[in-house]
Amino acid sequence: MIAAIPAFTEDEAQANAAFEALLWALSRPGQIRTLPAPGESGLIAALIDRECKVFCADPLLMPAVLRTGAEIAEADRADHLFLGEMRDLSVLDQLRLGSDLYPDEGATVIARARLGEGQALRLKGPGIDGSMSLRVSGLPDGLWHKRADLIRYPMGFELILLDGDRLAALPRSTLVEVL
Amino acid sequence: MSLSDLAKPWAAMSYGFLDASAKRELRRKMVKAVAVPGCQMPYASREVPMARGWGTGGLQVSLTLINPKSVVKVIDQGADDSVNAASIRRFLARVSGAMTTTDTLTASLIQSRHRIPEEKLSDNQVLVLQVPNPEPLRPVQPNMSIARQMHADADYSRMWLQLYEQIVCSGRVMQGASYPSLVNGRHVMTPSPIPRWDVPKLHMAEHLTILSAGREKRLFAVPPFTRVEPLVFDDVPFQVEDHADLSCYRSGARGFFMNEIPQDDGTSQYELSDSEYGVKTIRDREGDPVRFGETWYKNGKFS
Repeated sequence: MIAAIPAFTEDEAQANAAFEALLWALSRPGQIRTLPAPGESGLIAALIDRECKVFCADPLLMPAVLRTGAEIAEADRADHLFLGEMRDLSVLDQLRLGSDLYPDEGATVIARARLGEGQALRLKGPGIDGSMSLRVSGLPDGLWHKRADLIRYPMGFELILLDGDRLAALPRSTLVEVL
Repeated sequence: MSLSDLAKPWAAMSYGFLDASAKRELRRKMVKAVAVPGCQMPYASREVPMARGWGTGGLQVSLTLINPKSVVKVIDQGADDSVNAASIRRFLARVSGAMTTTDTLTASLIQSRHRIPEEKLSDNQVLVLQVPNPEPLRPVQPNMSIARQMHADADYSRMWLQLYEQIVCSGRVMQGASYPSLVNGRHVMTPSPIPRWDVPKLHMAEHLTILSAGREKRLFAVPPFTRVEPLVFDDVPFQVEDHADLSCYRSGARGFFMNEIPQDDGTSQYELSDSEYGVKTIRDREGDPVRFGETWYKNGKFS
């Protein structure tokens, strides 16, 4: 018999709310959701622990990642990649894309971008009723062609874009058309 | 960094029963499951205070998603009041402080065994289905390593052969529950043992569905607006159960999925499988103010 309901701690609340936003954004690509706090901290709390191999390009995020106990890995071994501001596409060439047998081994890439301005994209695929448009800027040129080249469904990677406390996600199942 | 920075204050139990690392693993797998609709993702499947095979997979997903603002509905074969559903609902409320409901319209998180409610789910609801056997290929390929290779190759010929054999032997497709369905044009999944009646409810739905098998340690998902096509031949259309003309002996509701209750004289009576919809119909008849949601089936026809 439980005497009282276990406490919904601050950590727990942040991780739960961040994941709720992430799950919504992944289920409905192109829709922008709000995280409980700006930046990657919520996603780190929700997803990362000692079982993860993390590539972290942003030195300011390194303390938060190290605190989780995750193994710091090179991009070709990492399952979660925190790229911060993406400067070039070279890291994408090393991404783990999983296999046809185990698509879940494909990486999750978290990068910063500005949502709602810049390049217009048309998205199609699961989670989208017809098509959806999204404007993104602050990403390197040629990213969308590179992404299309890399993804051989069901192999591929998930791209999560953060703009302050706003988040959009592009799972591998989404077709991106640059307008 | 010191040791005390890394430690957390002692607590008798984590929020939502599962410890934080179990939840993070489930979250990572849910991310991948949503990204590759219908593809089975392996996960660790922790112990919960319930025997494997009684909904532990669904329970672990629910415990990960739940927060104090959630409103939880749990159904077992359509009924809110069966022992299994009532126990799971009480457990979820006890370890999370979430509210519970039986009304499909007000629930934010619906855990279900083998039914999808008759009222349409909306985009702010998540449906969690308990899955006993996540592998649609098991009847034709008992070796799960080979079955995984067949999924990788999208080699589903034996599934078609199985359906063909049923049509040749019996004159119709005999598969009742867990009708194999092609998700997003790529992976064949079992929709869990929901009746054929419920399979069209997954196709291009507004809600997210997560299917989780605790004993078999795999979960998969159907995101909103995703194609879920039952395997059929061009000249043998998919048919749902012939319940459109049955009416419920308790509520009088017509055109929904029914439970058959055999009678002593050899005849049958029928009652609504979705118990809450039956309760609503009865309360409406008695003049109580009741809010009905839009239903997937109207006059026994899927619309």
